[in-house]
Amino acid sequence: MDAQNVDYFLMSNAKFLEDHQIYHIRERLLAMDESQWRMLQFMQFTDPVIVLIVSILTGPLAIDRFLIGDVGLGVIKLLTCGGLGIWVIVDWILIMGITRRKNTEKLMMAIY
Amino acid sequence: MPLTRNRFNLFVALACLAGYGWLVLIGSLKPEEVGSRYDFCLVRHFAHIPCPSCGSTRSVLSLLHGDLAGGLYWNPLGLLILIVLLVAPFWLGYDLLFKKGTFIQSFHLFENTLRRKWVAIPSIALVLLNWVWNIWKGV
Repeated sequence: MDAQNVDYFLMSNAKFLEDHQIYHIRERLLAMDESQWRMLQFMQFTDPVIVLIVSILTGPLAIDRFLIGDVGLGVIKLLTCGGLGIWVIVDWILIMGITRRKNTEKLMMAIY
Repeated sequence: MPLTRNRFNLFVALACLAGYGWLVLIGSLKPEEVGSRYDFCLVRHFAHIPCPSCGSTRSVLSLLHGDLAGGLYWNPLGLLILIVLLVAPFWLGYDLLFKKGTFIQSFHLFENTLRRKWVAIPSIALVLLNWVWNIWKGV
């Protein structure tokens, strides 16, 4: 794939992805066929900042977990009143990293 | 960190342990006394309304005292929590003993089922109805 396109893609989406994976992703994208550029352009990622805001506002309802696709953990969090409030606070710290990991996994699934 | 089998099993085991510890701590109380003594719910604390799962502890306590109607009144989700608390330790023990991953496999199956529209929409509606009932009861 064209280096300019790859760098444009990474510049636009780096904030959604895990920092330490960017190099591997770039290498992989460069090795990919040009025809897959369109598929990459239309990929949607979950914004970690939005998820953090949702987590702060509706943490005990586990909407943050449902938003990133952790349906099972979301149900557990919902049923336990947000882990008696502890899980809610832990998620305020962790949820942005978890969202970036989920986004990276989604991209990896698409390009590998 | 990705959710591996061992990490997930450990998480569920610790959650069950915390659940049993919590029940031992409040076991001597009557269900109606729990709400006034302990309040961990952030929704109730800040918004002054109960969350969808408020009353679950009182529900589990009522069910343990053999009061099914009381358990369902406080919060029907308590029945679900009690079933998980009773079944999960044995299931995890079986997986640990025979080095299997049936618990996490079933968990993923449950997740995938819940993602389907015809399951998700009624489930969300039931939780919302339960929430409205909780607010109406003022648990």
